[in-house]
Amino acid sequence: MGNSYNYIKYIKRVAFSNALDSIISLTILSFGISALVNLFKWLVFSANWSVVSLNLPLYLFGSFPGDQLWRPGLWISLFAIFSFITLWGPRWSWLRKSLPFLWVSYAPLGIFLLAGGFGLSAVESQNWGGLTLTILLTSCSAIVSLPLGIALALGRQSTLPVIKNLSSIYIDTMRSLPLIAVLFFGQLLIPLFLPVGLEINRVSRAIIAFTLFVSAYIAEDVRGGLQSMPKTQKEAGEVLGLHPFQITYLIILPQALRIALPSLTNQAVGLLQNTSLMAILGLVELLGVGRSILANPEFIGRYIEVYIWLAAIYWIVCTVMALIARHLEQQMTLDKKDF
Amino acid sequence: MKISYNATAQLVIALIVILVVSILINNLTLNLIKTGLGFNFSWLFRPASFALAEHPLPYSPSDSYAWALFIGWLNSLKVIFYSLLLSTLIGTCFGLFRIGKNALLRLVSAGYIAIIRQTPLLLQLMFWYFVAILGIKKSIISPMGNLLSISNQGINLLGVTLSAEFTSLLLGLSVFTSAYIAEVIRGGINSVNKGQWESFRSLGLEESIGLYKIIIPQALPAILPGLTSQYLNLAKNSTLAIAVGYSDIYAINDTIINQTGRPIEAFIILLLSFLFLNLFISNGMEVLNSMVTRSTKL
Amino acid sequence: MPPIVKATNLTKSYSKGIFALDNVCISVEPGEVLVVMGPSGSGKSTLIRTFNGLESFDSGQLNILGITLEGHNNDERNIHRIRKRVGMVFQQFNLFPHLSIIENITLAPIKVQKKKKAEAEQNALLLLSQMGIESHARKYPSQLSGGEQQRVAIARALALKPELLLFDEPTSALDPERVNEVLDAMRKLAEQGMSMVVVTHEINFAKEVGDRVLFMDSGKVIETSTPDIFFLNAKHERSRKFLNQIKK
Repeated sequence: MGNSYNYIKYIKRVAFSNALDSIISLTILSFGISALVNLFKWLVFSANWSVVSLNLPLYLFGSFPGDQLWRPGLWISLFAIFSFITLWGPRWSWLRKSLPFLWVSYAPLGIFLLAGGFGLSAVESQNWGGLTLTILLTSCSAIVSLPLGIALALGRQSTLPVIKNLSSIYIDTMRSLPLIAVLFFGQLLIPLFLPVGLEINRVSRAIIAFTLFVSAYIAEDVRGGLQSMPKTQKEAGEVLGLHPFQITYLIILPQALRIALPSLTNQAVGLLQNTSLMAILGLVELLGVGRSILANPEFIGRYIEVYIWLAAIYWIVCTVMALIARHLEQQMTLDKKDF
Repeated sequence: MKISYNATAQLVIALIVILVVSILINNLTLNLIKTGLGFNFSWLFRPASFALAEHPLPYSPSDSYAWALFIGWLNSLKVIFYSLLLSTLIGTCFGLFRIGKNALLRLVSAGYIAIIRQTPLLLQLMFWYFVAILGIKKSIISPMGNLLSISNQGINLLGVTLSAEFTSLLLGLSVFTSAYIAEVIRGGINSVNKGQWESFRSLGLEESIGLYKIIIPQALPAILPGLTSQYLNLAKNSTLAIAVGYSDIYAINDTIINQTGRPIEAFIILLLSFLFLNLFISNGMEVLNSMVTRSTKL
Repeated sequence: MPPIVKATNLTKSYSKGIFALDNVCISVEPGEVLVVMGPSGSGKSTLIRTFNGLESFDSGQLNILGITLEGHNNDERNIHRIRKRVGMVFQQFNLFPHLSIIENITLAPIKVQKKKKAEAEQNALLLLSQMGIESHARKYPSQLSGGEQQRVAIARALALKPELLLFDEPTSALDPERVNEVLDAMRKLAEQGMSMVVVTHEINFAKEVGDRVLFMDSGKVIETSTPDIFFLNAKHERSRKFLNQIKK
């Protein structure tokens, strides 16, 4: 009966409760609407999207050989498929149980598909690029730095002074450095620390640098989780006669990781965004592709289109990652309720 | 038994670390011998012979590398300091909008945070530099008469001229960091017991007075640690200055490495500068923290 | 004189079929002490929290001190008017931990009633001495025992000279030996003629101080009786069951 009357009252309460409130709301509404209309007009009529549409394969796969494009294509599609199954797929228990293995095998699979070998023709890492390289850098660094970070966190909590101090020094030094310096170290200095004659490619060096950097941050997040564990959990394990290692791996660590999950998610999203720094250190990942296209005389000055397009891709991938992490969080709380 | 086991474990770990480090140093020495560079810092006092667009203190290309590095350090401090103020201001506003009662402001704030946090800082910096500042077509925009004029050469605010590079770095860093600060503020305010809100409301206090007198003083101890880590991130992120051509400590280091071909020494200098900078910020925040804890007597 | 609180068919549900308030009708007369009892989750706290606008409701009419409250989307100024004239004491005291005792009490008089600081402090000291805790005026809440904190909370509510005081389980968070000092303070207030609505499990307080007892279960008012009838000869089976349980 009085439904529309209630809506009016609701709107009045949340946006027009007093004079100042009303002025703010009206300003936002008028500016917001005109901004949205102008943006829409620009996106549809004024923008020249040929800089995107003509270079679509470049954005996605870099300069990967044309006849082998199915390999990065398959790999990127798998990312979309895995994400979709994780978020909205059927709840069959065999599928749910195999999902973690699918995700863990995703990074090695990517290296295999991109680099070749085992029946696939070899493709040099110079030809990897675009979104494919962005996701490769992210997934490979993430999968190595997680166990490393956990080990460092446990090391820092250790009662053995040598282990504790070594972990602390490593974590604190790494966290005081800007990422670009570490990546720079990876590109210019790692070769100097290798035996004479041994060379590793730029992509691997970038992954090593990201891993060194991110594991220090992961270590602190995991330590936060470890520290928030009540002492009673450890005591409960001791009472049951468990070995200290068993207490750590069976009781403390799983709970600590669950607590640390939200901050670990932020690290993963941050990692993906930070792979863009490689654009100023000589790799043509997603942002690097954008820069090289903008340097092409044919597309000169098309900054806005390229940046909006790149921002949209980054935004979508980051948001999907955040959604998957939230899903994982809920999954973990559900598991807890089952017991 | 147990003690000897622990001692052995530590000894083994220490030995492994020493072994790895000595192999790395050995490789480094061999490589440096091969390239014929060696390891020394005497180049620091040779003339830098490159020009710097921005220098808070007098500088000319005939000055030494060491002086150029110091100028870079000052440039870093300058942009960090102003970004810190600006990001705190913007972040606090959006943090308060996010929890306020005006639904439109809440929506705007949530959208702002979602967009800024889910796109890379480097991309945002390039946007500010190439689109927002260099993209200005009209020669000069003066929205407030003589007080503020904006052109693709930079900004002139109250007679102070800010270069295009400084302006875009300042805006990019501040906007990016403000989205994180907004979340820190929101988290801190949400950490205050709900009973405190009910309590001041039931006393008939206005929302703004309650927020200012009751909620924020109690939220501060929860906000400050988060704020500190955002400030440290801001300082580290300021090294992306190189992408917009602002001569901060990292950019000058990069130039020096290109000129002298001495990455190891320059890297050590960079490392020390940042250890020092971090110490500076953490200690400053520590002082602030103890002031707040003392004044709120919690 | 018109009633201070007049509620008619007050209804609120959190989810379908589960009622926090189910057609509640009550009125509180000036100078009356109404004791609200009932098992946990029966809606007693929700009920008194609607009286100063901390809680909304879905349907029914509510009039406090002559001001009509809407269920949702109230005009802020109306709620504000009511809160200036109705005091509330919470189970968890909710003192402001970063303010001293005297600052806790004078904050609202200074900020809401625009009183001079000196005047507000004088009045606060008077209230503290009535509560028997004037020596704690310059201390901070964390330095006081639970019973003392709750008496400060009462003084804070009284500082605005309210026409109605709401108590939401004021003694439930206290150590047993601290309960009486708070109940005594409330008893004194009742003797001075303060209108009060008290949610509590304290039977003796209800018997001695209460003018009427309202018994709620599952959001419904089961019965409203004088304490004599309620405790000796409750009309309802459910009331008797509840009384047997809490007497054990």
